[in-house]
Amino acid sequence: MLKAVNSLGIIFFPAFDWSISPTHPEREERLLYTQDQLKEEGLFDIEGIREYKPGVASVEDVERAHFCFPEVDAVTTRSHLISAGGAITAAKLVMDKVHDRAFALVRPPGHHAMKVVHGSRGFCNINIEAVMIEWLREHYGVRRIAVVDTDCHHGDGTQDIYWHDPDVLFISLHQDGRTLYPGTGFPKECGGPTALGRTINIPLPPGTSDEGLLMALDRVVLPILADFQPEIIVNSAGQDNHFSDPITNMNITAQGYAELNRRLAPHLAVLEGGYAIQGALPYVNLGICLAMAGLDSSGVREPGFDPERLRQPRKVTDYIAEVCEIAGGLYFNPPKEPKDGVFADKWFVRRKNIYYDTDEITEAQTEMLRLCGNCRGLLKIESRSTNNPLCLGLEIPFHACDECRDLGYKILEESQLKGEFRYIQFVNKREKEFVRYGF
Amino acid sequence: MLLGIDVGGTHTDAVAVSRDGVAASCKVRTDHADLLVSVRGALENILSRVDRAKVRRLNLSTTLSTNAIVEGRTEEVGALLIPGPGIDPYNSMLCRHFHVLSGSIDHRGTEVKRLDQAEVAAAVDSCLKADIRVFAVVGKFSTRNPRHENAVRLALCRGEGACARGDFLTLGHELGGRLNFPRRMATAFFNGAVWRLYNRFADAVEKTLADLNLGHVKVNVLKADGGTFPLALSRRMPVQSIFSGPAASVMGIIALCDITHDSVILDIGGTTTDIAVFAGGAPLVEQDGIHIGSHPTLVRALKVHSIGIGGDSALTVLNGVVRVGPNRLGPAVAEGGSVPTLVDALNAAGLCALGDAEASRAAVAALARTHGREPEALAKEAVDAAAGSIHAAVREMTAEINDRPVYTIHELLEGRRIVPKKVYVMGGPAEVMKMPLFRKFQLSTEVPPDYAVANAIGAALTRSTWDLELFADTEKNVLFIPSLQHRENIPRTYTLEEARRDAVRHLLGHLGSLGVVLDSAEAQITRADSFNMVDGLATVGRNIRVKCQVKPGVAFRLTGRA
Repeated sequence: MLKAVNSLGIIFFPAFDWSISPTHPEREERLLYTQDQLKEEGLFDIEGIREYKPGVASVEDVERAHFCFPEVDAVTTRSHLISAGGAITAAKLVMDKVHDRAFALVRPPGHHAMKVVHGSRGFCNINIEAVMIEWLREHYGVRRIAVVDTDCHHGDGTQDIYWHDPDVLFISLHQDGRTLYPGTGFPKECGGPTALGRTINIPLPPGTSDEGLLMALDRVVLPILADFQPEIIVNSAGQDNHFSDPITNMNITAQGYAELNRRLAPHLAVLEGGYAIQGALPYVNLGICLAMAGLDSSGVREPGFDPERLRQPRKVTDYIAEVCEIAGGLYFNPPKEPKDGVFADKWFVRRKNIYYDTDEITEAQTEMLRLCGNCRGLLKIESRSTNNPLCLGLEIPFHACDECRDLGYKILEESQLKGEFRYIQFVNKREKEFVRYGF
Repeated sequence: MLLGIDVGGTHTDAVAVSRDGVAASCKVRTDHADLLVSVRGALENILSRVDRAKVRRLNLSTTLSTNAIVEGRTEEVGALLIPGPGIDPYNSMLCRHFHVLSGSIDHRGTEVKRLDQAEVAAAVDSCLKADIRVFAVVGKFSTRNPRHENAVRLALCRGEGACARGDFLTLGHELGGRLNFPRRMATAFFNGAVWRLYNRFADAVEKTLADLNLGHVKVNVLKADGGTFPLALSRRMPVQSIFSGPAASVMGIIALCDITHDSVILDIGGTTTDIAVFAGGAPLVEQDGIHIGSHPTLVRALKVHSIGIGGDSALTVLNGVVRVGPNRLGPAVAEGGSVPTLVDALNAAGLCALGDAEASRAAVAALARTHGREPEALAKEAVDAAAGSIHAAVREMTAEINDRPVYTIHELLEGRRIVPKKVYVMGGPAEVMKMPLFRKFQLSTEVPPDYAVANAIGAALTRSTWDLELFADTEKNVLFIPSLQHRENIPRTYTLEEARRDAVRHLLGHLGSLGVVLDSAEAQITRADSFNMVDGLATVGRNIRVKCQVKPGVAFRLTGRA
């Protein structure tokens, strides 16, 4: 009888009663065949592998990661809270040592959701990894976390949330932004002034196969992780790099995904995108589960697998080698100055325009980080969108210094008095205080 | 008049019941060397007291298949498997003659790779050369498309009704529509392994009945899921007769008590206490199947959890804490044993006087002395500990039931939780354990009348059950009910509503063909899903799955009588 080498908890929640719209890729049917495959393989009968039902994330859980305008309930549905709750359940299983590893096979995904949320972009409303990470920090005091995003699309949401955070290392492997949504994720995007080199982007050219993906993993990701020494490694496990995916142009196979997870050995994996729901997901998810559990996955083979057709052209290999060179260097020798934004007084200021493709919302925001030198710094974001008038988000980080904390409360009070903001969301992570204002 | 016989590990219990109540009952020792002797003995005992012309039905619960497997008295089976890609099938290798054939079918029932006929022929020849006469043929996703399994059957049987080159074969998809290839493999294997032995027993039972002038009696066999199936059908599916004992007891409680709330059923035996949980008035069925040996199977069973606390469980004192079980070191001192047990504690606490109560008191006093305790206090603590352990196990079991995975937002947020409101206790120490258990549970606690032969009453009154899965794919224009081997073409417009109707119709039709006539209200849809299948931006069809069952139930209840 099979026994898992690493015990594995799987939170499987296909949300069979929820879709963005009936024919949208993010629909009821998405994990149906994955469930069929996992059940037919008898995965949950393997000793050490167990299935769990997800918890439901609370409003505070979401607010720890996001500023939601006008409020959390307005930008999320129950399915988003369950999806994030599933990621939290996975984290809890590992932290409580119930399992060595856990995989949140949940939908909808979240890695395009940024710090501020006015609606849905890239099928994502709230960032389920970020909600999970902030929950881990609050409940278990975890400090150093690495997120390796292997979705085919750049994880621009996760990047935005942890742009200024030196304790969360974000590495994204994705199809080059010049050829795919969301059009970002170039090596020069490498973090804010307090976290330079803690955001690493590895854009891969169309046509990249297992060989190229594993090359980037071996040459860039693994050496960086060895140096960063995270307490927890999270894989944002999107599966749209698969050669059969309808909306991308990569050539990764189920074997490639399994091998990636075997080498990366993440404590936690969270499902992101992946819409070849019949030809890829059942096999890729099976491969990931087996690899995470430390079991043989060499027999996993998807229909249409043809190594000849998927062979990576020489020039693609050479190009990836160059990208690896650049990306790796950015961690070990980060630039002295951030690529955008200005320093004003004790603040670092960035202005951003964000488009929410799924909900067709445009947002303009001014992000300000206080560079106090003693803590991660008070974060202040002013945002307006086609959905909401001017709103304010204020965040006092974990382990904030007294100065930043006091200033946070002062700004909150002044903003309430002046009344220039329609909605205010205030989060004090140090003393666990949440304030919503404007209703 | 209905007869029920439960062949158990120690005793064989038999009853004759009518709507007026139990007409006759008996308990004889089980003869493990020849179960038929026990069955015949029990039958003759009962028939001496009732009019055999009035007997209409005999329901039989037997440990025959279970024992055969435990004792290794099974036949060699040739396993012919078509696993396709995925987890290495050799991880669940069950037998020597284990042949893995190439060919694969995917989750939608599409053939990805054809079966290699030369390979099939070679595997069949190799089995025949080794004198294998019983086969298990199982393919991955054969419940979506049985083409490969059927092709192997054709190769083996050469298309003849009575198989030309084997005596018996089990095809994976006949076992039902549930997905789980390793379980399907194990179930088909065990079905074959006990087939010959079981059929000899069935022949003998039929002959005995004829000898006893009971040739007119309809014979049903109990399953572990709280239902019966006709003897004729059980000859092809003997594996379903496994582990029916606990189900007989649970069904007995249903017949004896009017259960309407979420409840807990405790059957306190000598070695273990069996716990069952009822949702509303109905027993819960295990989502997956039971384990045979260490192999998980597809055999459905009532959800019954056993813990190592019974009348004969030994008392121990560890660090000043009194414990009961899980060890069983022979019978109670009151019955001539040497180590004090729960029964002795009940005697010493003055709650009852079973057997030699004086010996119990002496043994408990001796145990108390070695630990510097007061005997009666220790005895009471032991009884409390036993009740406490049972209570804790029940809590754990209900928590587990309430935590089982669900797949829709509706079920996750609005799903019904089970909260027991009543406790039913049966088994030897039921009466005396009633109050200690009540103190722990703080719930109405009841001991049904006739609880000593509740298992045989359950066997007698249990109705037939069956379940089936219907799978329809309107893009492929196909409907498939694996357990009935029914495949038909459907139009693109086929809907979930039609699928529900068809599932019920086929279920009742099948039972009808077996002589079990039921009203359509008895068929219950337990799952009905329809998924739009989208290709690009257009809906190309619907993927429909319906599960339908006849709920476990009893022919009539024996409640409300004196």
